[in-house]
Amino acid sequence: MDMQTLYLLVPLAPLVGAIAAGLFGKVLGRAWSHRITIALVGVSFAVSVVIFQDVMGGHIFNGSVYKWMSSGSTTFEVGFLIDRLTVMMMLVVTFVSLMVHIYTIGYMEEDPGYQRFFSYISLFTFSMLMLVMANNFMQLFFGWEAVGLVSYLLIGFWYTRPTAIYANLKAFLVNRVGDFGFLLGICLVLMVFGTLDYQSVFANAHNYVNDMAPIPGMSVGLLTAICILLFIGAMGKSAQFPLHVWLPDSMEGPTPISALIHAATMVTAGIFMVARMSPLFELSETALSFVMVIGAITALFMGFLGIIQNDIKRVVAYSTLSQLGYMTVALGASAYSVAVFHLMTHAFFKALLFLAAGSVIIAMHHDQDIRNMGGLRKYMRWTWITSLIGTLALIGTPLFSGFYSKDSIIEAVALSHLPGSGFAYFAVVAGVFVTAFYSFRMYFLVFHGEERFGKDHHDHQGDHADEETSHDHHHGLKPGQKPHETSWVVTLPLILLAIPSMFIGYITIEPMLYGDYFLDSIYIAEGHHAMAELREEFHGAFGMALHALTTLPFWFALAGAVSAWFFYLKRPDIPEAIKQKLSFIYTVLEQKYYFDRFNDWFFAGGARGVSGLLWKFGDVKLIDGFFVNGSAKVVGMFSGVLRGLQTGYVYHYAFWMIIGVSALLTVRTWFE
Amino acid sequence: MNYLASLSPIYAEMFLLVMVCAILIVDLFIVNYTKTVTYLLTQTSLFCTVLILLFTHQPGAAHLFNDMFVHDVMSYVLKVFICLAVMAMLLYSRSYLLVRGLFTGEFLALVMFATLGMMVMTSASNFLTLYLGLELLALSLYAMVALQRDSAIATESAMKYFILGAMASGFLLYGMSMLYGATGSLDINRIADVIQHGTPNKSLLVFGLVFIVAGLAFKLGAVPFHMWVPDVYHGAPTAVTMFIGTAPKLAAFAFVMRILVEALQPLMIHWSGMLMILAVLSMAVGNITAIAQTNLKRMFAYSTIAHMGFLLLGVLSGTIEGYGSAMFYAMVYVLMSLGGFGMIMLLSREGFEADTLNDFKGLNQRSPWLAFMMLLLMFSMAGVPPTVGFYAKFSVLNAALDAGHLTLVVMAVLFSLIGAFYYLRIVKLMYFDAPESHEKIYIQPDSSLLVSLNGMAILLLGIFPNTLMSVCFVSVQQSLLQ
Amino acid sequence: MNFETVLFYLFAAVTVFAALRVITARNPLHAVLFLVLAFVSSAGIWMLLEAEFLAIALVLVYVGAVMVLFLFVVMMLDINIEQLRKGFWQWLPLGGLLAALIGVQMVWVLGADEISAGTTAVKHAADYSNTKELGRLIYTDYVYPFEIAAVLLLVAMVAAIALTLRKRRDTKRQDVNKQVKVRREDRVRIVSVPSARQVESVQEAAASNHGHTAD
Repeated sequence: MDMQTLYLLVPLAPLVGAIAAGLFGKVLGRAWSHRITIALVGVSFAVSVVIFQDVMGGHIFNGSVYKWMSSGSTTFEVGFLIDRLTVMMMLVVTFVSLMVHIYTIGYMEEDPGYQRFFSYISLFTFSMLMLVMANNFMQLFFGWEAVGLVSYLLIGFWYTRPTAIYANLKAFLVNRVGDFGFLLGICLVLMVFGTLDYQSVFANAHNYVNDMAPIPGMSVGLLTAICILLFIGAMGKSAQFPLHVWLPDSMEGPTPISALIHAATMVTAGIFMVARMSPLFELSETALSFVMVIGAITALFMGFLGIIQNDIKRVVAYSTLSQLGYMTVALGASAYSVAVFHLMTHAFFKALLFLAAGSVIIAMHHDQDIRNMGGLRKYMRWTWITSLIGTLALIGTPLFSGFYSKDSIIEAVALSHLPGSGFAYFAVVAGVFVTAFYSFRMYFLVFHGEERFGKDHHDHQGDHADEETSHDHHHGLKPGQKPHETSWVVTLPLILLAIPSMFIGYITIEPMLYGDYFLDSIYIAEGHHAMAELREEFHGAFGMALHALTTLPFWFALAGAVSAWFFYLKRPDIPEAIKQKLSFIYTVLEQKYYFDRFNDWFFAGGARGVSGLLWKFGDVKLIDGFFVNGSAKVVGMFSGVLRGLQTGYVYHYAFWMIIGVSALLTVRTWFE
Repeated sequence: MNYLASLSPIYAEMFLLVMVCAILIVDLFIVNYTKTVTYLLTQTSLFCTVLILLFTHQPGAAHLFNDMFVHDVMSYVLKVFICLAVMAMLLYSRSYLLVRGLFTGEFLALVMFATLGMMVMTSASNFLTLYLGLELLALSLYAMVALQRDSAIATESAMKYFILGAMASGFLLYGMSMLYGATGSLDINRIADVIQHGTPNKSLLVFGLVFIVAGLAFKLGAVPFHMWVPDVYHGAPTAVTMFIGTAPKLAAFAFVMRILVEALQPLMIHWSGMLMILAVLSMAVGNITAIAQTNLKRMFAYSTIAHMGFLLLGVLSGTIEGYGSAMFYAMVYVLMSLGGFGMIMLLSREGFEADTLNDFKGLNQRSPWLAFMMLLLMFSMAGVPPTVGFYAKFSVLNAALDAGHLTLVVMAVLFSLIGAFYYLRIVKLMYFDAPESHEKIYIQPDSSLLVSLNGMAILLLGIFPNTLMSVCFVSVQQSLLQ
Repeated sequence: MNFETVLFYLFAAVTVFAALRVITARNPLHAVLFLVLAFVSSAGIWMLLEAEFLAIALVLVYVGAVMVLFLFVVMMLDINIEQLRKGFWQWLPLGGLLAALIGVQMVWVLGADEISAGTTAVKHAADYSNTKELGRLIYTDYVYPFEIAAVLLLVAMVAAIALTLRKRRDTKRQDVNKQVKVRREDRVRIVSVPSARQVESVQEAAASNHGHTAD
């Protein structure tokens, strides 16, 4: 098999699996559905490994495999750009997806939509692979939209729950906003460069540095406009402030997809895209500044929200938001490789945390409230250990994978000189404390302390007033019932994910950040030397860990963990008291800074108002009344007349034919 | 090379002819009314014909029998598709014809004779063989339409088809004789040569051309030579309608290519003007009249007329892109027709013909899968992406636009917008209306598989049109540009 | 103007006249007979062109066989000529106008430049066999169209049979096999009738018989 066939095999194998499980799921049955999809995703992962070795051998592929259509001088092709950035993403996507596939066997065991679920996650894997392997904007957009579509389907997987429908609609609409910007950006690229191919766009980008964007009334640099528009797409997909509102709600979907989509892969699409577009972003400092500030806001403020959440999955979701903010900040600091590095480590430990949370949820019989847990350490050994590893990685404990990536981000921001970098530095350092605090809060509440499960539930009326959505289906352990460890299909992925969560940072930091791993994929402009300075300070992975003991972030993280321990294990009364005292801040946080309220009121309400007006006047009167019904009437009239010509008499028909000949003759003689 | 080996390009036709005769004889000894043996023999023969075509094909064009027969890439591709379309048609219509007592050995023999006629047409390079192939096809079709003797409407439509067809043949022959008079030859290449380099009588040529175009327009069903189409489509048994509406269109496309492009390319300014009128009229009359139809077969008939208008749009562009996209359109049209009529037959049963719009009400509740396939078909006919119908329309329009026919393209788009109405109306009936009968739909496994394949092909070719498209381009390019 | 030209115009005039009469004759029988006349005079024109084979074939096949069959058919059918002619006058102006239009157009197009006489027919020696030459051509140069034409005839045959042959259960056909196999017992029943009866019993029998049939 030549390499091109292998490239094709990677995305197509999950597609075949998705089709098999989706269309023939009933015929195949549950067991065969998961066997087939898992085997095919496994194939995809194995082939990715082979391609990885090939790429490491220096074989970079960029070419089209299928010409889809051509319109005028523009051709639309399906093509692959297989370089080190791509192949890394391929490995991450296929590996995490494989883990999630296996885990799903256990998690969805009793669900009637078993085959459908497998079909969706395989389809998702296909879409994501198409996205990362693209060598042109068109295919990127296809993958982008396909990922959005499948996430819509998956968030609303339990489509009988109104909350799920609300959540998936919200995700879809918010993503539309982002996609609109993204599409505009692509259109602008096509307009300016006349092609959608990455290579030729990147090669010509520097010719347009001084051009102005064709936006009337505004003087914005052309490349700045393109980059910001593209980044708006990334904001939607990677849930950056203020388009982040969909991500916490999307926890309505089953847990495996939370791990797959909302932690490890889909939300990273935006980060990946910006890294891929580094030759464009590097040419616009304004855009980079914008990216950095947005990322910093997300990193800090979303972390705060994690502190007050009681739904185990929502805590993890907010931590995802905050970590995505970190990655975005790194992008803004021109440390693309660091961002992608954090993307990779984060994919592993966040998938781990989500799946562990899912494991806890299974054990708690689908009660997701951490106030009803506690002391699970004794009952769920594997889940406990792996969760601890995930948490330590998340807060950036030295030697764990998260440490290397997060610390590098902080260092890179410190070295950046763009406007806004001061704020960004503050945000990421403060974020370390917040991260450690909420992570360990959750950890302690779930695995340590008093066993609060099996009791009668709290009255959640207060929460219901808000849209604390996950509680309204009454699950949970019955009084006296004890949780027990979940089956091996659940714990095996946890263990397999825990290993890279611990070690992958230590192993790969040197080649990925300071070696020339991304030499061909990521471009850094002359003036941006954050990476170069980082490289000078770097003295081996172990040395970095030792050095960290003397730096601020480490002590912040420690402080966060300790205070979490103090507040939630030692003196649980203090948080209550604070909540009473600072009820104003608490309410603001509980309302998520009033974003949802505002969106509902301003956008949803406003749109309804405007559309009501348009409907009454524009649609009913003008379009329906005049254009549609009017033209339909005219057409209908003609239709009747023409139908009348079909008399059914053969000599009439013959006569028409003769008239036809005569007409043709006339035309001919006339135009002679 | 001995004589027999030199005949290898025509092995497929020879084989088919031998097999028809064999089947006619074998059928005499089969009393079983299901005619399983005859049926299987027919399918096998058609399949073997395809195999022979595949194995005997050699690159380049082969001329045989004093240049009366030509085997080139275009005829090769079209013949393979014709045979496959006929096989699919037989598969679809078997149970439909069985319950109506029409599944006789004679029917199968006529189908094969018609197939032979189409194959002769596609690889004719002489007016004589073109005409004979056409008549072989037409005669078989007349008989097939009339086969349901107890049905007055079938007999009536057969009569109309026969009389008008004879008239059209007369036009064609008259035109051909004019060309013969002007150029002194019936051979397509000779004619092209004489027109290009000799000094033929120009006005005689154009005069003949008018009649030839009229004859061709009849075969395609273009307005105003379309009157037979709705009556015959409606009156004939659905299986026969399906047959008329599918493979012969490919043969007709070859016919048009051979005469207008291969023989009369220098007269393009003349015939493209005539085709323009025919195309616009066809799209207008087809799409607008279809709206008023309540019978699905009649609606398809008008939609055929409109589709032929689109096909002509590609032909009249006069470029390789235009011919290639017209060929693509013809193939796609065949695929959609097979599905559309197949759907009618699948829903029909003994003594009941599912050919009115009301029969499709609420199909989604009775059989979601069939409804979905029908949805794909309707979308494709209307030209909604990502189905292949969209791509077919798009490439034809693109070719016409490149040839500078902006007004035509705008009109075509407008008319296909009107056309979208009646296709989407069926979708609406299927998904949003309550079914009129709740009778269980029983489908043979082979037809069910076929309809699924059909629908999927429409979707997949819409997403990946390039392979088929390049087949069309290559065949047109290699066959028409010597 | 030599004799041949005179003959040509004679035949041509007769052909045109006969053709016109075919469509104008009131009696369908007459129309068929005029058609025969048209064929015969066309055969004459062919003969002038030294196409003896075609001329003879036309007479033999068309006049001799086809038209006779036609005559039978016409005589067997009850054609109401008046019904066919209904609306003739109503449509005549329109049809005539169109015919005139096409005629004018034909003249216009074709009359634009003179149609050259082309090549004149080659004169052959007296022993030249038209039939033989035709046969040679058909089986060599034109063998392919000839074969297709043969298939065409086969199709016509199959079609004609398929359309007319009906296996109806209620037809009263002779079955020779059955007739030959028939035995005496199947056809003849010997009933012994008593020679002497009482009158009453006969009446009774008749009454009961009557009652039986009345049931």
